[in-house]
Amino acid sequence: MNGAGAAKSFVADDVAAVATFLRERPGQVRVRSGGSRQGRLPTATDATVLDLSRLSTIVRLDAADQTCTVECGVPRAALDDALRAHGLELPCPGGGTVGGLFASDPIGASTFGGPSPRSLLLGMDAVLADGTPFKSGARVVKSVAGFDVHKLLVGSEGRLFVATRLHLRCKPLPRHVQWFCRTGLEPAAAIACVRGLQQEPVPPAAVQVLRLGDGSCTVQGRIAGRLAYVAHVLRSHDLPPGEPSWCDHVQAPAVGEVVVGAAVLGALPGLWRATPTGTPFLWHGGGRFEVAANAPAASDALLVACRDAGVHALVVHGDAARRGRSTPLDDGHHRIQAGLRQALDPHGILV
Amino acid sequence: MLRRQMPALESALVRLLGDRRVLTSPDALLAWECDGFTVHKSRPRAVVLPESTAEVQAVVRMLGAAQVPFVPRGAGTCLSGGPTAGGNAVVIDLSRMRRVLQIETADLFAVVEPGVVNADLTAAVKHLGLHYAPDPSSQTVCTIGGNFAENSGGPHCFKYGMTQDHVLGALVVLPDGSLARLGSPAGSRLPGSPDLTALFCGSEGTFGIATEITVRLCRDQESVRTLLGSFATMTAACRTVSDVVAAGLVPAALEILDQATIRAVEASVYRAGYPADAAAVLLVELDGPVAVLAEEAAEVRAAFARNGALRVEEATDPAERKRLWKGRKGAFGAMGRLNTDLYVLDGVVPRTRLEEALAGIAAIGSKHGVLLTNVFHAGDGNLHPNISYDGRDAEATARTIAAGTEILRLCVDLGGSISGEHGIGTEKLDHVRLMYDDADLAVMAKVRAVWNPDDRCNPGKALPSRSACAESAKWPAMTARILRDEGSA
Repeated sequence: MNGAGAAKSFVADDVAAVATFLRERPGQVRVRSGGSRQGRLPTATDATVLDLSRLSTIVRLDAADQTCTVECGVPRAALDDALRAHGLELPCPGGGTVGGLFASDPIGASTFGGPSPRSLLLGMDAVLADGTPFKSGARVVKSVAGFDVHKLLVGSEGRLFVATRLHLRCKPLPRHVQWFCRTGLEPAAAIACVRGLQQEPVPPAAVQVLRLGDGSCTVQGRIAGRLAYVAHVLRSHDLPPGEPSWCDHVQAPAVGEVVVGAAVLGALPGLWRATPTGTPFLWHGGGRFEVAANAPAASDALLVACRDAGVHALVVHGDAARRGRSTPLDDGHHRIQAGLRQALDPHGILV
Repeated sequence: MLRRQMPALESALVRLLGDRRVLTSPDALLAWECDGFTVHKSRPRAVVLPESTAEVQAVVRMLGAAQVPFVPRGAGTCLSGGPTAGGNAVVIDLSRMRRVLQIETADLFAVVEPGVVNADLTAAVKHLGLHYAPDPSSQTVCTIGGNFAENSGGPHCFKYGMTQDHVLGALVVLPDGSLARLGSPAGSRLPGSPDLTALFCGSEGTFGIATEITVRLCRDQESVRTLLGSFATMTAACRTVSDVVAAGLVPAALEILDQATIRAVEASVYRAGYPADAAAVLLVELDGPVAVLAEEAAEVRAAFARNGALRVEEATDPAERKRLWKGRKGAFGAMGRLNTDLYVLDGVVPRTRLEEALAGIAAIGSKHGVLLTNVFHAGDGNLHPNISYDGRDAEATARTIAAGTEILRLCVDLGGSISGEHGIGTEKLDHVRLMYDDADLAVMAKVRAVWNPDDRCNPGKALPSRSACAESAKWPAMTARILRDEGSA
């Protein structure tokens, strides 16, 4: 599924083909790697899909330096396998392809729950919408030479340029990892549970809160470290070990909408009050939340609550006419964002 | 024309801020003629000292109307000439904006003004069991605003990351005087919104002026263990670092000082009791839960032993820890004993190529007959080769510049970067082309033009080939000539 509703597609076999394709002025282009998040993008029925799924080579894995270079279509699971063989990991949650993970930034870069994609992206090779290749950043773990244009990939959904290769920082596999899953919590108890985990000097490597349709909450995540420490955290916070049941996104309802936003934990009670019981609500420790609203009215009520709480939120799934409805954007931020689109893709090719 | 405008502009600035917050006399401007990169000096046209976002906006608008460039500045501890202004530019000094506006202990963030001193933020939250993690060596003086502009690092960023990893959002005065709010305390943004906060961080004051910065706060660790190993060879010290990292340990800091640095430190007021006969000392700091650290410290000791450490010390109390760090933190100050001037380089190589890089740096030093010392963040491969020289001697200065340029070229050839944490400023304007080609630089220039379309905000910094004023261009012109000569050799 390409999600854009587009009839045409171009499958790039290598990095050079991406530049060649874009230089031929193909009209509007929708970038796709694995396609798992395409349903959350604005519709683009006239666009040609630029399929990067065959750019799936791990170009370089330098285990001793704990860095690697991968093409954007590399599935996250394949990278995990390759890293694991060298005692390494990419220490942020999130599935799909590596390119899709960084372009969508499903977890966020907040105060809690392990490194974010922003921190792990060291550099990239990319192609402008007019087919001009360029690079940004470096392959080493520290570099402040030049502007960090590569950081613009994080969250851009492929609408500023087409990233083809990413230079990433990896970390050693923890000595011990334990997923946990605490279910059936009242909302206040779920907040208290996460607040307790926040007090730990070494917070969970990943954490999320899922308010289910019946109003109960699940707190789940991953504790990593030495066995004694992991056991101590599980014991002191009464966290039952559980199978990994991590979800990047709420399931989009057959009828209704998905609202996505960014909020600190402290904002959740207010947002929960604004969403009807029965509305699935997912919050990542990185700050991103997603709500599967069963009707436009529910989305609108949530957007009002978000606005009042100073929280950003946006309708990403639902009727085409309502996608993109959001809390008010800061004028200056909007102006810079629009200016970057105009500067990097003046003809609006990437949609 | 600009000179003719000066009295009117000065009068207007004085009406806005009062005469004590607008400095124009040559003597008063002396303190702003350079940053920590003392090779490049240039007295600004004026210095203004705003105390609020509204005042910064008003100043920027006033300067815009007069088409006068401006340079934001914090404490001036930058080491690459980033906040050094050309003679027609006005410095907007933010050191009076030093309020901690908000501390959120539950959601672990703080909102601060740009002039808050890095260490003061940690001091403000220490009683809550929290700290601000990025810790540049100048942390007792440097400001959060300057750290944000430069994406500063520090000894502990091997584990905790750079400033960029700790900044969640900012309120920014754009070069036209309007405001933009980037990011949020939640860090995350709306889907489809690129990460402008991360982009702004490290833009060296060329995108605008951050007047409120939202940063992450970290919980204090339960325990800290600091170990110092001394080695007969630099190779053994570097291999110990590799062993520690290969074991899967993530120490908070992994710092190496070479013999010349050790001797300078031991002869100075920063004396820390380092063994003066060692070729290198390696400082390893571990932090975390007590039970975990016992195991990790044993593994570090084993790595020391495998690589033939001459001596291993471990701090047993905070005073001992302070002593072990004293030499490292005072290393740059100690070099004041070696000559009148110090050129601090900031190259990065892949950690596995440290030995190769250090051998190459030594050879370059010999070739140019310069006095080189090395202090570096070994875990990150971030080298700080330091050249002590007499800046009054033009020939010695030229040799220093030539050696520095070769060292940065070596770092790039080994797969690294020309700067790990000090930035480009004016110092490395022409070295940027060692890493990036015209297409790469054109994209960066396009991005800058979105924020700073008429290049009045810190002109002539970070990217080559822009409209640097004559004073700013002096240093890059010297490096450009050396690069040209090398190319034609």
